[in-house]
Amino acid sequence: MSAILKKPVMNTHRPARAPFNLFLLALPLAFVALAALAPALSDYALEIGFRILLLVTLAEAWNLLAGYGGLVSLGTASFFGIGAYVLTGLMNKAGAPLAVALPLAGMGSALLALLVSRAVFRLRGLYFTVGTLALAEATRLFMINYNGFGGATGLFLAQDPPGLRAMYLIALGLLAFTTIVMTAATRSRFSILLRAVRDDEDAAAQIGVRPFRIKLVVFVLASFLMGVAGALQGLKLGAIEPYGMFGIQWTVNVLSIVIIGGQGLRAGPVVGAIFVVALGELLADYPAVHLAITGVILIVVIRFAPQGLVGLASRLVAQRRRAQA
Amino acid sequence: MPNWDGAASSLASGLLLGGMLALTALGLSIALGVMRLVNLAHGELLVGGAYVGYFLLQKGGIDPILGLPLVALVVAGLALPFQRVLIAPLAGKGMEAPMITMFGVSVILQNLYLLAFSADTRAIDTPYAAHPVTLGPITVPEIYLIGFAVSVLLVVLVHLLISRTAFGRELRASSYDADAAAAMGVDVRRVHALTFALGAACAAMGGVLLGTAFSFTPGSGGTYLLISFAVVVLGGIGNIFGTLVAGIALGLLQSLGAVVFGDGYRDLVGLVLFLLALALRPQGMSASGAR
Repeated sequence: MSAILKKPVMNTHRPARAPFNLFLLALPLAFVALAALAPALSDYALEIGFRILLLVTLAEAWNLLAGYGGLVSLGTASFFGIGAYVLTGLMNKAGAPLAVALPLAGMGSALLALLVSRAVFRLRGLYFTVGTLALAEATRLFMINYNGFGGATGLFLAQDPPGLRAMYLIALGLLAFTTIVMTAATRSRFSILLRAVRDDEDAAAQIGVRPFRIKLVVFVLASFLMGVAGALQGLKLGAIEPYGMFGIQWTVNVLSIVIIGGQGLRAGPVVGAIFVVALGELLADYPAVHLAITGVILIVVIRFAPQGLVGLASRLVAQRRRAQA
Repeated sequence: MPNWDGAASSLASGLLLGGMLALTALGLSIALGVMRLVNLAHGELLVGGAYVGYFLLQKGGIDPILGLPLVALVVAGLALPFQRVLIAPLAGKGMEAPMITMFGVSVILQNLYLLAFSADTRAIDTPYAAHPVTLGPITVPEIYLIGFAVSVLLVVLVHLLISRTAFGRELRASSYDADAAAAMGVDVRRVHALTFALGAACAAMGGVLLGTAFSFTPGSGGTYLLISFAVVVLGGIGNIFGTLVAGIALGLLQSLGAVVFGDGYRDLVGLVLFLLALALRPQGMSASGAR
């Protein structure tokens, strides 16, 4: 059973020193450029930009779980939705400022992750996937039926949401924070423990790693990020309802982004998010066709490019180099 | 003064519904036990069966219960090439790739149903669907009794197929140790293909029964998948009679939840029970805890 989640060869381990420094240098520059761009962008560009930034954040969090931790979650929507509801509740009932409500919304989702961790980690691999799917459906049904949080009709945000440009910048800030978390989690001693648990939980436990604790840290961290992302979406809409905030499309989109982009690869979520958002824009008038095509692409990528578009590209580049040499 | 007769009828309905849940869960359990396949498209196969039953009645005038073998054959026939093309090539690549492939299939089917049949809520309309049967204080629709009886019969038939036939022996061998079975001359690929078709047929027949007793939409599959999973986990993977008992128990508890909290909470109760079962007793109720 321990071989279940063993991956084909992954190039997440980068022993070389040079690309590390280049990476650390280029990334902040990219964020500064994206922020500097904000005043020049049209409303449409800001709208698309916000969506891409939000989806990349969610995909990074999911990639941390599935790509690095081997925990394939189908519960994205529940953590996303809880974040939106906690933010709306805090701002409406307690008049909390945004700077306080956002992190607390993430903590709400992290708390949910902590509460259900015992259930979803009990058996390996597939039970985590099915358990998180059950969790997503359970929270959705609860929010629809229970009237304490607005029931099926949802809630309005009492304050006016910030403008589009501000939302874009906040989303950029969240992605910057996410990137720092991901860099810390994938380039530290922790990343080695995480990979050990993903590749062979029993062997990791034998040499003194505590798999439950490692998995819990990743799960809580990813849920926190998903909660803040959900809070941002709720804030932008100014009104939340359970069908939209807890909708399966968040789960499908995020999973597709990471699988299509490349699981366990740093550039995977960005490439995947641009691809999925572009496809969504092309088929904006045909939501059912869009989802069906996403499903087809998902199946094709898993079969023929298990490392996604990024993995495929780096393989082609490597082949060309070898051919030239 | 609570309505005791109504409550008793609800619980009886839940028990009978549980039998039908057991049948659909059995399909999921077989695929999981034999192929190690987490079939996330199970709910859509179920809804697909309901659509086949619906159109057989509407266009061909075939009674859904009598047409069950036909529905099973149609869906199994569709599932076979499906397994060949999508699942078989992923053998040996772990459980994750087939699982996400089936998730993709689930998303595709759901949206194809939506495009082809619209989002309309449908029910397979038979004269006995709403016809009440009364026994003392208990009144249940006749279709619940028929659905329960047919489901239990089918579960027993599947049990006999697996425990008494040559195919069943090959299936059990492949489940226990696929490599050893292959070495002894079992065509594991063929067994897996037939297992997938059998699982799909169980889902489709359950779909016809549930689609006659209740209504369905293109999106109904997700909930049935999860409830089926709850039954599989409670009953123990690959344990046929455990699945039957767990299905009935879950149906009963869901109805109890609906009586206590209101009808909207029926499925929520099932899901919460599932999460509790995962937390407290993941090896199932009956429990030698083998796998």
